[in-house]
This record gives sequence, structure tokens and C-alpha cells, in this order.
Amino acid sequence: MKTINLRRRSLASSVLLLAACFGAIAGRAFAGVTDAVKAVTLPNGLRVLVLENHKAPVATFNVFYKVGSRNEQFGRTGLSHLCEHLMFRGTKKLGPEEFSNIIQANGGMDNAFTTADYTNYFVVINRAHLDVPISLEADRMTNFAPQGFDSEKAVVIEERRLRTEDNPQDALNEISQAQAFIEHPYHWPVIGWMQDLKRLTLDDAIAYHTMYYSPQNAVVVAVGDFDGEKVLKQISESFSPILNGPKPLPVPQVEPPQAGARNVMLQHPADLPALSQSFHTPNFNSPDSFALEIAAVMLAGGKSARLYQKLVVEKRMVVDVGAGYDRQSFDPGLFTIAAQMRPGVKADDVLEELDHELSRLREKPAGTDELQKAKNQEQAGFLFGQDSILRQAMELGVYEMLGSYKMYDDYLAGINRVTADDVRRVARQYLVAANCTVGVLVPTGLLNHPGAANGESGGVIRHAQDMRQSPL
Amino acid sequence: MTPRRTSILILTLAMTLAGARCFALDIKRVTLGNGATLLISEQHQLPMVTMAIAFDAGARRDPQGKGGLAQLTAQSLTEGTRDMAAKQVDEKTDFMGSSLAVEAGQDYANAQITTLKRYWPDTLHLLAAVLSQPGLRDADIMRKRSELIAGLNSQAEQPGYVAQVTFAKLLFGDRPYGHPPEGTPESVATLTPQDVRQFYKQYYRLGSAVIAVVGDVTAQEVKEAIEKGFTGIEGTVAPQAEPAKIEVAPGAHVTKIDRNITQANLTLGFGGVARSHPDYYRLQVMNYILGGGGFSSRLVREVRSKAGLAYSVGSQFESGKFQGSFQVVLQTKNASANQAIRMVLQQMRDIQNTAATDSEIDSAKKFLIGSFPLKIDRQSTIASFLLQIELYGLGLDYADKYPALIQSVSKEDVQRVARAYLRPDAYLLVAVANQSEAAINVASADQH
Repeated sequence: MKTINLRRRSLASSVLLLAACFGAIAGRAFAGVTDAVKAVTLPNGLRVLVLENHKAPVATFNVFYKVGSRNEQFGRTGLSHLCEHLMFRGTKKLGPEEFSNIIQANGGMDNAFTTADYTNYFVVINRAHLDVPISLEADRMTNFAPQGFDSEKAVVIEERRLRTEDNPQDALNEISQAQAFIEHPYHWPVIGWMQDLKRLTLDDAIAYHTMYYSPQNAVVVAVGDFDGEKVLKQISESFSPILNGPKPLPVPQVEPPQAGARNVMLQHPADLPALSQSFHTPNFNSPDSFALEIAAVMLAGGKSARLYQKLVVEKRMVVDVGAGYDRQSFDPGLFTIAAQMRPGVKADDVLEELDHELSRLREKPAGTDELQKAKNQEQAGFLFGQDSILRQAMELGVYEMLGSYKMYDDYLAGINRVTADDVRRVARQYLVAANCTVGVLVPTGLLNHPGAANGESGGVIRHAQDMRQSPL
Repeated sequence: MTPRRTSILILTLAMTLAGARCFALDIKRVTLGNGATLLISEQHQLPMVTMAIAFDAGARRDPQGKGGLAQLTAQSLTEGTRDMAAKQVDEKTDFMGSSLAVEAGQDYANAQITTLKRYWPDTLHLLAAVLSQPGLRDADIMRKRSELIAGLNSQAEQPGYVAQVTFAKLLFGDRPYGHPPEGTPESVATLTPQDVRQFYKQYYRLGSAVIAVVGDVTAQEVKEAIEKGFTGIEGTVAPQAEPAKIEVAPGAHVTKIDRNITQANLTLGFGGVARSHPDYYRLQVMNYILGGGGFSSRLVREVRSKAGLAYSVGSQFESGKFQGSFQVVLQTKNASANQAIRMVLQQMRDIQNTAATDSEIDSAKKFLIGSFPLKIDRQSTIASFLLQIELYGLGLDYADKYPALIQSVSKEDVQRVARAYLRPDAYLLVAVANQSEAAINVASADQH
């Protein structure tokens, strides 16, 4: 599969990316996943999706809010993610972290993450206790009253140090993204700039919650081993009384077309050089998005893929190389190629190889076998993804936010329609130098010497490191 | 949440535990003609299959000074067969949309495939070729060796990784578990193709292997396909002698690694227990309360939630075939390192000196028992579960027995194992940090 770890939503890469590669399995066996979904809109505007899945005695409950760093303002970046953290710090009924304590005592695990586009809260739990997260999520949608603001902000600042300051590749990702997006809020990292984080206040968070955490701005999804009608009823009872806040502000910014190659160089404490190429691309709204998915797989999906064979196996220039395309971003995002080099390898030499591979993609249509291979990989990934109820819930929720959960099924056909000419055409249109931001990490060494560069950057942004699953 | 509501929740939990017995894994266990033990759980909901084979070929088998040999062998196996070049294996795998990998862990090497049902026979055939007729050509092994070293160079940039590897080296020394499966750049550089072929011949033996198959297949067809496909690697592996017990001498043994970074990455710990140790379940409950239970644990509550010192903090007993380790792992800004260390040591002493509360014990048990189904809710985790119950002798009815194993742990047990196994006065501490900013001083950190 695509290995990509540098995105503004790294969770999207780890959890959703595999699932994002779905296709028709043997034609239609799995085309109708969404036929079994019960979808309801409550009178307050909350969208509710429920899907029975009786594979294992477990269930998941997800709440998606259509708010992410995309909704933030200059000088107040990181507020979405901080707000996500504060959602665990208590309500008018519950004390700090009591949410998680109750979930765990009921045989469940909970977490949350923030992307540029949305914020997701999820619980996976013993099927007998799905009523618990339903009532607790309703409570924190309406009774937000966090305690211990300062210590939670300190936790988030530590998170930024861990993810970005001390992580050279993420630092490069952050600065490259800021160079690729000038006007659009995808410019800043999800976790926020360090100086902004330090200035955020409890009042900022409360105002943000009031604006964005309301039924009209949310989607809830339950998947698992339960009686769907009963769960719908529980959800309706818990969430129907919740009133809406003000209407969320629109995000009017549109990124102007990129006219000419951009380059950014980051000096950062590290030992190995790294680089990335980011191209502006359309999102799910464009039929080209399917061909871009296929292009990403052809370049870096599996060990037989073009870039892996060229750069890892043949030329031995890089430790690893990945290509990723974020089809599900709310606004048009990026197609990104990233590589960490072996010691002593020059960025220019790797860039030359990459240019060569991209020009091949632009000039020569893929062979029948190679195209079919990419489609097969997407199809298998789609089916494998259905083995996880959490992944199913996330796909349904994300598609619903984009317009309709029904799009989950359309992907199949879209991927199967892609022709070799389509791939060549989108490569010619989007994967070109004038549309590219090249980021190069210049390592300044990890051995300590005072006054070395200090980088900054973004990443995924989860509420907590996943609790290590207790061993058997 | 009102107290009344909570008590309702507890009642429901008690009811589920009775109902939670039907895990529907329906495990079948057979010994094959080639000597391997096969465990199967038929799962017909999705047209896909996952298969995992554990060979007694983990990193604990690495010869002295040859750290990384088990991993280099494992990864070289998929680099071509007698009849196919490496690239052909990759092409075939990717064309089917299957995954196929062999990786060494500390205890065992794991060969695993995941495939659509329609490609199950072909993917199985490919795995059989990789395992029983591998190419193991010099050029492929040397290329893989160079990739392994490149990967190690990359991991050396991650301060958490460096802290872990250093801690294990200091704790286990030359014993098993003393180096990571991928070895070190120095040890991997000494490995030869001959070493790899010898290791393969010695340790990839079906008579000592366990095979788990989960998915849309029948037990009978799996048995026949494996007996037919996997030939030429019969035989068994000689048992490995139990290593000497680990003892950390009294005192704080501090190792500082200086890096130009913003956080101190701390690993603090000492020897633990083997998976088979009779105190294993008591330690699980105790550690959940101390630092294994996420937001319900004392370490997260004190170090993260109250003090805001760390994003991630936790403790764990790593338990394998042999005695493992206990570790507390956290990252905090350099300047807070001493304060964080002090809090960790204090939490260990507290759980030794004062019995945990009834409510803590109750919550720990409810989580461990109630969340068990979450550990076996998809093919990959079921396959891993099947391997573990066989390799560690847990029994086919382990899922049913588990609640009683946890329920039997008492408050007194928790305090006893905290006193017996936690060593706040005899520990190793590895700190990868900006040392001048962190100014780690255990004497000042450890005021008690």
C-alpha cells in the first residue's frame, strides 16, 4: 500500500489510507455496503448513521464535528486540536478524564483526533455497553466545561515537541505545506504554531466549542454487533434535546493557482537528509481524483511499485519512499511524494530520478497489467478495510461530511473506470514542476551544539497516544 | 454521570460477562503430517483469508555478535525463490492485492499473508515457495542487508527508539532480548549470506512451528493445502536454554545520551517476568493501575493530567518466552526531566506502600475482562491470538477462562506483586535528551 507519513492528517494516512483504497470486489459482491446503513436526520439537524455488523461482539460509536484547523484564523492556530483535548477535561456533570475512565470500566477504549478538516471522537467497546458512549458524547456536546486548562495546554505543547520539533520529517512536512498553501488555511499545521498555542485561552476554546460543536455541524456513526433500530432510538433520545449554537462561519479562502515551482529548505537537527514534492490537486469533487489514486499506487503501492523499485532497490538512494493523495480533503489538497535518503545521498540526485519517473508517467501510458495491478490493490484494500468496524465507521462518517455516505459505494466504479490515458492525462495536468513545492531537509546533526536550527511543524493530532492494548 | 447511573452500568457488565463466552472463534487444532501445529478459525463473513506461521526463529536465536541475523533471514526469504527473482515475487504479490511478509520478533519469526479468497490458493502457494524453496542468493541478501542498515540509520534519529534500544542492551546484555530484532549497524555489517542460509536451515522447521489460519476457508481444505504445499522443511528446532535471571544492583544506574532535541526521552525500569510466570495476571492488574491503564492509570493522571508534563507516559511488563522487562516510558521537555522522574519513582513507592483502592481494582478488572473481545475482533488479531494461545500454552478455551484469571486477583495480590517486582531503589534509567538543559540528577530527583 501507499506508505505516506507526511500529511496534515497523518491519521488519515495510517487509519484511513488503506480504507481509502476501496474498489469493487469481483464486480459487485461488496458494492452495496451502504445499503444496510440506516440514516436519519434528527430535528436539530444531527446526521445519524447506523450499521449492523455482527462479525465480532464489539461496537463502535463515532462523533464527527466538521471543524478542523481549516476553520482557524491566523494567530489562533491549533485551537481545534486544543479544543479536542479539552473535550476530555470535563463537563457540567463529569470531572477531568472521567469520560475515559467510564468508557474503560465498561470494557471500551476511546480516543480522538483532529485533522485540517474535521475532528473525530471514537469509542470501541464491548457490544453490551454502546449506550455508555452515546450518553457521554451527548453530554460533552452540550455541557462542555473543561477544568485544568493550563495543564492541558502544556500537554499539547509537549505533543508538539514530540511530533514536530524533535521529528525532522514532520518538521519538513510542516514547512513544505506552509509553502504550498499561501492563502488557504491548509497553510498552517493542525497542531498549530508554537507561539499561537502559547497564547490560546480558555475563552477561545469555549467560544470555539459554542460555534462548532452543535448538532447541525456533526455526524454520528455507530457500527457493530447490535440491533440497529434500538441503537438509533438510543441516539435519538440522547441527542435530540441538544440545541444548536450559532451557524458556523464559512471558510471562504480559495488557494490561488500555483504559477511556478517553489522550493523550501529546512535546516534541522537530524542526521539523514529528506525531501518531498507536493503538487496541488483536486479532491473527490473531480473525476480526476480516481486517476490520481491510481497514480499514487503505481508510484508507491507495494514493493513492486515504480518508485520503490527505482529508488530503494535499484539505485539504493533512499531508506523509504512514499506517495500519497488525499482524495477526501474538504478543499483541494496535495499529491505528495516523500523520501528519506541514505547518508550522503544528495537531494538533487534523488530529485532527478523522481523527475525521470514522473516524466515517464506523463509520457507513456501504463501497461494493461500494471493498471490492473493497481486496481487489484485498491480492491483488496477496500475489502480488508471492512474487517475493522472502526474503519467502516470512519469511511461512512467522512463521506457523509463530504456530501453523502453513499459515496462509499461509488468509489468502486470510479476506480474501475480509470484508463491508462486517464493516468497519463492527470500526470500531465498536475504532476508538473510549475505546480510543485519541493521541500529539502538539510540535516544539521543530532549531536548537541548550541544555537542549531529549531524547526516547527504539524502532524496528526490525537488526543492521546493509543493506550497500549493490554496483552493477552 | 450520577452514581446511580454508574451502578446500572456495573450491573449490565456483570450480565455481559456471562454472555461473553460465545466468542464464536470455534478454534480447531490439528497436528499436520509435517509436524506443524495448525489452528483454524473459520470466519465466513468476508471473502478474505489471513494466515500466520510462527517459526522458532526469533531474534533470541541470534548468535553472539550476530544481532540482526534472524531479521535479515526473515526479510531475505521474500527476496526471490529458487524459481523466481525477487521482483517477480513482489509483482505477483501486488498483482493479487495480497500482503506477504516475514518478520522476526524477539521470540518468533512470523510469516504472514492476507489475501482475497479468490487469490488464497495462489498466495498460499507463493508463501510455500518463499518458505520452503527460498532463493537466498548472495546479491539479494547483501542488498537486504544494506536496506536493514539504512533503516537502522533512520531509526537512530528517533530519540525514543534510541532510549529503548539502549535500555534493553543495558538490562539484558548478551542474553536474548539484549538487542532489537533488526540488530545494530555494526552487528548487521558482519552478517554474511552464509550466516543467513545456515540460520534458515537450522530454525525454519515446521515441527517447531505453529500455523494459524483465519478466514473464509474450511479446516479440511487448509489442512490439505498446507500438507501438500509445505515440504522439505520438516524437522524440529532444539530448545533454547533459559538465560540467567536478571538482577539490577541497588542504586540508580543512569545513562545519558546527549542530543540536540527539545524533550528528554526517558526509559526507566528493571527485570520483569516471563509470560508463563504465575504472577503474570496479578502484574497485569497492578500495572493497569500504575501506568498501563491510560487515563485510568496513576502515572497518566499525575504526570499528564495534573502536572501537564508529558503527552505520553505509561508503564508495561514486556513478557515473552523468557524473563522480560518492566519499563516506564515518557517524554517531557528537557527542563522537566527531574520532576518527571521524581513523580514516577513516587508512584512506584505509593503502590507498594498503600493498598490500591477497591474502586481502582474493580475498574482494572472490568476493563481487562470487558475489553477482551476488542483484542480478537478481526482476522489479523484473531490470527495473532491463535498463535499466542499455542506458543504460550494458554489453552483453546483461554478466552473463556480469562475472566476468572483476572477476577481471582485480590487487593492483597496487587500490593504483594508491587512490592515484589517494582524496584524504585534498583533501576536503570536511560535519558536521551539535551543533557545540559535536562541536568538530570537522580539524587535530587529521588527525594524520599
